[in-house]
Amino acid sequence: MIESPSILLDGNPVPYRPGETLLEVATRAGQDIPTLCHDPRLEPMGSCRTCLVEIEGWPRLAPSCATLAEPDMQVTTANPRIQRHRRLLFSLYLADHPTEHEACEDGAPCELHHLAHRHNADPNWPHMEPLRADRPGDRNPYVEFRADRCILCARCTRYCDEVEGVNAITLTGRGSETTISTSDQISLMDSSCELCGGCIAVCPTGAMAEKMPLVAGAPPERELQKVRTTCNYCGVGCQLDLNVDPSADEGRGRIVKVTSPPPGTITGDGNLCVKGRFAYDFVHHPDRLTTPLVRQPDGSLAEATWEEAIARAAAGLMGVRERHGSDALGFVSSSRCTGEENYLIQKLARAVFGTNNVHSCAAT
Amino acid sequence: MAGLVTTFGAGAMTNSIQEIREADFLFVTGSNTTEAHPIIAMEMKRAVRRGARLVVADPRAIWLTTIADRHLALQPGTDVWLLNAMAHVIVTENLVDHDFVANHTEGFETVRDAVQEYTPEKAEAITGVRAEDIRKTAREYATTRKAGIYYTLGITEHTHGTDNVYCLANLVLMTGHLGHASTGMNPLRGQNNVQGANDAGATPVFYPGYQRVDDPEVHARYEASWGVPLDPKPGLNLNQIIKEVGKTIHGLFVMGEDIVISEPNVSKLEEGLNQIEFLVIQEIFLNETARFADVILPGACFAEKEGVFTNSERRVQRVRKAVDPPGQARADWEILTAIARAAGADWKTSTPEAIYDEYVADAPKLRGISHARIEKEGGLQWPCPDPGHPGTVYLHEGGILRGKGLFTPVEYRPSHESSTETHPLVLSTGRTLYHYNAATQTRRAPGPAAKQPEAFVEIHPADARSREITDGDRVAVTSKRGRIECRAMVSRQVRRGCIWMPFHFAEARANLLTVDVGDTVTGTAEYKVCAAEVTLVQALENPVAFPGSFASVQQDR
Ligand code: SF4
Ligand code: SF4
Ligand code: FES
Repeated sequence: MIESPSILLDGNPVPYRPGETLLEVATRAGQDIPTLCHDPRLEPMGSCRTCLVEIEGWPRLAPSCATLAEPDMQVTTANPRIQRHRRLLFSLYLADHPTEHEACEDGAPCELHHLAHRHNADPNWPHMEPLRADRPGDRNPYVEFRADRCILCARCTRYCDEVEGVNAITLTGRGSETTISTSDQISLMDSSCELCGGCIAVCPTGAMAEKMPLVAGAPPERELQKVRTTCNYCGVGCQLDLNVDPSADEGRGRIVKVTSPPPGTITGDGNLCVKGRFAYDFVHHPDRLTTPLVRQPDGSLAEATWEEAIARAAAGLMGVRERHGSDALGFVSSSRCTGEENYLIQKLARAVFGTNNVHSCAAT
Repeated sequence: MAGLVTTFGAGAMTNSIQEIREADFLFVTGSNTTEAHPIIAMEMKRAVRRGARLVVADPRAIWLTTIADRHLALQPGTDVWLLNAMAHVIVTENLVDHDFVANHTEGFETVRDAVQEYTPEKAEAITGVRAEDIRKTAREYATTRKAGIYYTLGITEHTHGTDNVYCLANLVLMTGHLGHASTGMNPLRGQNNVQGANDAGATPVFYPGYQRVDDPEVHARYEASWGVPLDPKPGLNLNQIIKEVGKTIHGLFVMGEDIVISEPNVSKLEEGLNQIEFLVIQEIFLNETARFADVILPGACFAEKEGVFTNSERRVQRVRKAVDPPGQARADWEILTAIARAAGADWKTSTPEAIYDEYVADAPKLRGISHARIEKEGGLQWPCPDPGHPGTVYLHEGGILRGKGLFTPVEYRPSHESSTETHPLVLSTGRTLYHYNAATQTRRAPGPAAKQPEAFVEIHPADARSREITDGDRVAVTSKRGRIECRAMVSRQVRRGCIWMPFHFAEARANLLTVDVGDTVTGTAEYKVCAAEVTLVQALENPVAFPGSFASVQQDR
């Protein structure tokens, strides 16, 4: 029998599949290595240097996210040298980032603050004035870029290129003025952007943020309840999290934004399209129907109680059945409704009104 | 999806979305995947990045054609010619998987003989696709192990939609691309729960779980379960119901759909609705159909109720309540229960979970699935016959569900309508990324509304020039059935002689123009081929870049 190759991880042999990175092997073995520029859906970039590990015989620390496991490699994921490196690195990142943790997290939680805290970064390093250019006045309704929070991990630009495949945003400028923008600084609305919001989802610091909740002054994400559900648009059935402010709208609750579940989630792998992520305004739209309506003899519609409306609906359908027979009735159901509701409507048609004339709209 | 049930014994994607990234050959036809199924398209992009070959067969240039190895731009409605010619190549070059054909299929000879006549050269003359491209595609498809077919409405929304599906199925069967990962026959469902509506029996021929209403055993079982006599003959399909409205259909109950926008040949339907004795609609917005309704019941949207949706890959997933419905609006399952009770049935006031249990108890394919299991394990793919079954990632492993896969020979029939002197253009309709169906939901969102504010028709530069139409002009699109106005988008995405428009916009209802003749088997209407003409109404005053179809933005990049 051929033994699968293994590495020595913090002294313990751990098998790996050829092609796996050290980060993947270590994560599978339960190690918690900090990362900032890594996302399993993207090609490794190895630029943030937070995931460095020590490899026996290598003179310098190596980025575990971008280093492939090799037979019998001896890898150390934590020791004083690595810890000192991480502390200095996170202190440096913090000095170029809004220092106040809570204020920084006006939208999504900030992975940088979280990791910096965990690795004992020094929050008191002299603050650097960010030179990265903001993108004020982009008239797109959804994506807000706040340069002061950006750490140039390029997760957003790489996502836009490698996953969404449209290359709407890139790293532009040089040196300390490097920032994220479209080519020629045009609005996302005029670019190849598809408003998928993936750049927001992958951003570790909230530099890319949902614009609408910020404009509306909604509570930050940490105060919202996440409800995992299935997108109501196309037949892919992506999983998504409705972020709800439960006390809003007199306790009925209000959807503040939609976030994507972590990569690896089935269905969708944590990706969403413009409809799934942003087209939820209809839920709380003032045009929603809120009371039953019943046609009056003069042709107008009048509000009715549920009892009246249900009685009228049942009587009307029964009347048609009496006059013309069961097959004079038709039931059109909807792929917008749940499986349970579709079960009930066909049972209603068949068992209560005696007809098989039931079909869901657009049977494709 | 009747074609699929006949051929394979199940009407759904045979394989799973996640398998796409591992595929080596993708044949995408009649599916503008990046716009209609963006996240499935992402998996396709991922496969292509990995080195998979992608061939797109579509009358229009779409986003995917920009990364495809080959684009087969066929004349609309000539799919049978293209697909039969591919089968011809596979047969004549002996690329058939004879073991698979012998062990798992029947009727191969009928198709082998039927495709004799369909040489790539003749196909070139009719489809406009080069014979050499047809040959190469057929060879690559047949000789690649992980080769999958993906299609949507572009294949099914024709009077010969079921024929197209049979042709694709024949290709799958003769190459044995079934029962393995990253292969198969994969219809991508247009709407969130269209699969689930079919699963649950919202179809005139099937009880829940695809059990025929005219099967005596099934019929007896449901009569026993529900305790009432049931009608053993199949009912009318949607297309038939819509056509009979006001004639033999005198009472109509419509839940969650705006049939006046979504159904073809709207003027005729509106006439019928004026005649009808009683119409109930259950909706979240006052829609166009509401104008004719006697009773309007306010329902709840997906964020306001519990339940399940089934996606394209047969995965049953949870929908969870996040907020309360507005005002007095109620979950649709509550409303349906109330109506049944008012009509004298003794339905218990229940919960979605209990309703689901009742639903799957009599549906063997789904019996192993429950809310509790999904809560614990995540979405489950049917068939899942018992609570210990892990669900089925791809169908037909080790054999075909219905026993043997059935080959079905298909002869080309022209589309219902062909172009005429007065209507020389061929109109197809479809979806865009930014809107969804009648756009009642997406047009209330600022992003889609700004990226695609209004209706448009895509027209080829040569056809535009001869009509003195330029980009952004206001034009009239006419067919024998109606006339609508919208903006012209001059674009090479459509072939010469063809025009294309989205069906999302209420003020320019493409379905005033379309043909209401249904597919002979499924009743699915012909949204893809209708004879039309475009004329200038008013030239654009100050020509600015007109924000239109996303795909054209892509191409200008
Ligand atoms: S929203 Fe999507 S397409 Fe637009 S810039 Fe962000 S990642 Fe790219
Ligand atoms: S997020 Fe987009 S791709 Fe996913 S199910 Fe919703 S509409 Fe479809
Ligand atoms: S996560 Fe490895 S270098 Fe950034």
